[in-house]
Amino acid sequence: MSNAVAQADSHSHGHAHAAHHPALQHHFDTMSQQKEAAVIGMWVFLLTEILFFGGLFVAYMIYRVWYFDAFAEASRRLSLFWGGLNTAVLIGSSLTMALAVRCAQTNNRKWTVNWLILTMLLGCVFLGVKVIEYEDKFANYEVPGPSYNWLYHEQHAAAEAHAPTGAEGAATEHRELSLTPDQLQRTTQIYFSLYFTMTGLHALHMIVGVGLMAVITWMAWKGRFDAQYYTPVEMSGLYWHFVDIVWIFLFPLLYLVERHM
Amino acid sequence: MSDHVSPISLYLTIFFALMILTGVTVAAAYVDLGQFNFPVAMLIAGFKASLVVWYFMHVKYQSHMTKLTVATGLFFLAILLGMSLIDYVSRGASFQHQLPATTPDGVIQPPGPASH
Repeated sequence: MSNAVAQADSHSHGHAHAAHHPALQHHFDTMSQQKEAAVIGMWVFLLTEILFFGGLFVAYMIYRVWYFDAFAEASRRLSLFWGGLNTAVLIGSSLTMALAVRCAQTNNRKWTVNWLILTMLLGCVFLGVKVIEYEDKFANYEVPGPSYNWLYHEQHAAAEAHAPTGAEGAATEHRELSLTPDQLQRTTQIYFSLYFTMTGLHALHMIVGVGLMAVITWMAWKGRFDAQYYTPVEMSGLYWHFVDIVWIFLFPLLYLVERHM
Repeated sequence: MSDHVSPISLYLTIFFALMILTGVTVAAAYVDLGQFNFPVAMLIAGFKASLVVWYFMHVKYQSHMTKLTVATGLFFLAILLGMSLIDYVSRGASFQHQLPATTPDGVIQPPGPASH
């Protein structure tokens, strides 16, 4: 008798414990159902993001087909070093993000916070590199608009060719251009418009991502998550990885249009 | 909760695969593959994205419902890109040969050293 009571007691206690996880909302039956809903909801949001960026990819694609030579020329004005470095930085930040989620899954609060902070730092490194790249474009009159000047860069390089390092100016001489300077002046602006729009929108997502990470880090620091409930960490991780994927496509599209000439 | 916890070694493997593929895509860009430079670059990028989605974003361990949701997005992206490209490519020769040789009115002349 007392045994049965004890059994019933332990059963109801166990049930109550599972049902009353503080993070379980009343409209969900179980934690896994709640998690499933969050995952699908997040992916639906990411799908809208895919189509959001998709419109820009279509614009890029069509103008690239129309003005390929201009895109090839303009693409070479980007620094492969900075672009490659940023790709590596973002892939690294995806790794630290994945590890942060894993630490949340395994109840490792300290390293969840550490990996999240590292992810934010790598995100800031990416944005810093982007600032360096943009600054270079402004300095070389390569920002579309009234002061856009396609020839400035080469003339600048040619002027410096008399100085010790003139390799770059000489290298551009080899290629026979299919477009006149006037045509390049017009059509390369399309490339740089798309470059600034796409990388700008991506950078905006990075800024949002870093802000998101700051909130999640604070929540993790406060001990809001455990192995049963770490959905916010995982969801912001999905966002971060998505932004990484966008860059995985932007890098070859913008930096590697035609490098073998 | 039966959430899958991937081993750290898996995450490191994916990370190194992504880094190596980044190197491959840069190297491939410096080789003249003719028409195939672009498809190769996109193939590598697509493969990298798949690795991220499948392992980093844990889609491998999600329900069929979630996988279907992801696939739906890619399906509509394919329609967006594919149909638009078919439309524009089938309109005829590349427009760049029709560009006027001189700058038309209304385009602001480059300032500074470029003005002639």
